[in-house]
Amino acid sequence: MTHRSWAVCRKELRDALRDGRTIIAVFVIPFVLYPGLMLFMGWIESQNKKEESTLQVRVGVVGEAQLPAVRERLQGVGGVSVVPLERAPASMEDARVDAVLVLPPGIQPAIARGDSVKVELLYKDADHKSSAAEERTRPVLDDVRRALIVLWAQSHGAQVNQPPAISVEHRDVSSKAETGRFIAALVIPYILVFMVAAGSMHIAIDTTTGEKERSTLETLLSTSTSRGELVLGKCMAVITTALTAGFIGIFGLWFNLTVLAGLMPALSGQSLQLTIRPDQALFIFLTVLPTAIFLGAALVAIGCFARSMREGQTYATYVYMAAVFLGLGSFRQVGAPPIGRFTIPILNTALLQREILTDTVVPIHAIVAIGMSAAMAAVMLVIATRLFSNESVLFRT
Amino acid sequence: MIEVLNLRKTFHDRKKGDIPAVRDISFVCSPGHVFGLLGRNGAGKTTTLRMLATILAPTSGTARIDGFDVNDHAGDVRKRIGYLSGDTKLYDRLTGRELLEYFGQLTGMASSAISSRIAELKGSFGLGDFLDKRVGKMSTGMKQRLSLARVVLHDPPVLIFDEPTSGLDVLGAREVLKIVRDLKAKGRTIIFSTHIMTEAERICDEIAIIERGSILAQGTVESLQRENGGGSLEDVFVKTVGEVNGDA
Repeated sequence: MTHRSWAVCRKELRDALRDGRTIIAVFVIPFVLYPGLMLFMGWIESQNKKEESTLQVRVGVVGEAQLPAVRERLQGVGGVSVVPLERAPASMEDARVDAVLVLPPGIQPAIARGDSVKVELLYKDADHKSSAAEERTRPVLDDVRRALIVLWAQSHGAQVNQPPAISVEHRDVSSKAETGRFIAALVIPYILVFMVAAGSMHIAIDTTTGEKERSTLETLLSTSTSRGELVLGKCMAVITTALTAGFIGIFGLWFNLTVLAGLMPALSGQSLQLTIRPDQALFIFLTVLPTAIFLGAALVAIGCFARSMREGQTYATYVYMAAVFLGLGSFRQVGAPPIGRFTIPILNTALLQREILTDTVVPIHAIVAIGMSAAMAAVMLVIATRLFSNESVLFRT
Repeated sequence: MIEVLNLRKTFHDRKKGDIPAVRDISFVCSPGHVFGLLGRNGAGKTTTLRMLATILAPTSGTARIDGFDVNDHAGDVRKRIGYLSGDTKLYDRLTGRELLEYFGQLTGMASSAISSRIAELKGSFGLGDFLDKRVGKMSTGMKQRLSLARVVLHDPPVLIFDEPTSGLDVLGAREVLKIVRDLKAKGRTIIFSTHIMTEAERICDEIAIIERGSILAQGTVESLQRENGGGSLEDVFVKTVGEVNGDA
């Protein structure tokens, strides 16, 4: 990094900081818009749950006379109306019910014979109201099971009228800190990729294609600063902006989910304890650096190649989308990913960051991911420099 | 000193094939002289000057700027030139001072040298009123003065001006020509392209008429007039260019 490259970098950053679009991309969107949207979506979800709890659903019961206790139990569930049916309807819409509990005919003799009995709850997962009806009816299925057990016991000569008071329940015992850590490991790698790509997009195109479109390129090329120094300076500015956007994004997420959500009673249900230890923060920075260089250099290369800002922004959007989809790949990762995934740029960084945040780093994963990202970053820097030195690319019309 | 020898530039187009933009041109310009490249739009003036400024690489032939070959010592050439194109813009979000400091750094000047040179140019180019104003808020005339100050900031011995009065009003253009004359008086080697005959007549010591990438005629204004049977430079230009296009 030469003195002249620093001069280019400083100028580009100064220029960018005076451009409202960069301020919005680097500061406003990561700090306010994205975390704010996430909070808003959480709030919408909680409102939906509230509305769902007051929803009235109609559950049809076929063969209710065989187990009268089931009907009583269902009627005791809030917001459920029981509709007796003779048979399972061909269409729930036509029968005007949201779910149907089907008790097959001849339950008692079947149990006495030792035959298997199948009770079904029919509903539509693709329908919110039907899903709500299923959710409310589900606990009643336990009562059905118990009632069938009583029938079975009676058929075998047992003198019982009530089922045993046995219940099997599930309960989430995660603390807020544990949930926060889980969410952090899930969301932070993705958000970082997302922010780094979004933060570098505008400035990368503005510092390259912008020079062509504003007719400042010739002046720059006629100075005694080499093309390599110019590209390096521009890439440095892009990378600085990308990293700033990434960390502001994380800070914004923490501020919104931990501080702001805790302060606002309406959002307190959405508050999380997003904690990252200093050593984790340091390692995350080390992993995001080669990715930022790779993305920055790729976008600068695209900017060198593009003829106009519009063309450059179109190409940059494809890179941005590719980065976002690769980042998304880390979302559904369960267990230790195969080593091959750590060779894929961007995805490897997101996966490694998950390991860092969950304290499950596998050294070979770290070596492959960082090594591969650094190699790709170097290749992209070379490509960007070559394109910036190629007059048929720079002056193509 | 500028020495151009058989300089050629051919662009390649996938559909049209090879397009010769400059065809084996040669000329020499000495210190303290203004060499004019006179030609229509698309005649090859800008391509020639871009090759001299090492922005484009020649397809064949060469040029020596202040003793350095444009092919082999592009970096040394760039240290010795100041390049200004008429359609060149500046960075709107920087102030005039920041812009000069930036280009000073790019040409390798020390901070102290940049500051003292800016102070010097502030007076001689009349930048005082707007030096700390953002370029985007400057008038066209202010921007042109700032561009000229940027070109001479590192005090280069060779100056390349590609239609520097393009888009300027009469007063602005007059101001630019005055600065070019002052630089000539200081012994700088200047190459000046234009399609405005009166400008060429007023400041050029020698003129080359360029058409379709070739130099058709070259000499002082007087010698060109003499060889073409008198008349104005415009008459000479129309006659020379018309002959090659077959409409004289």
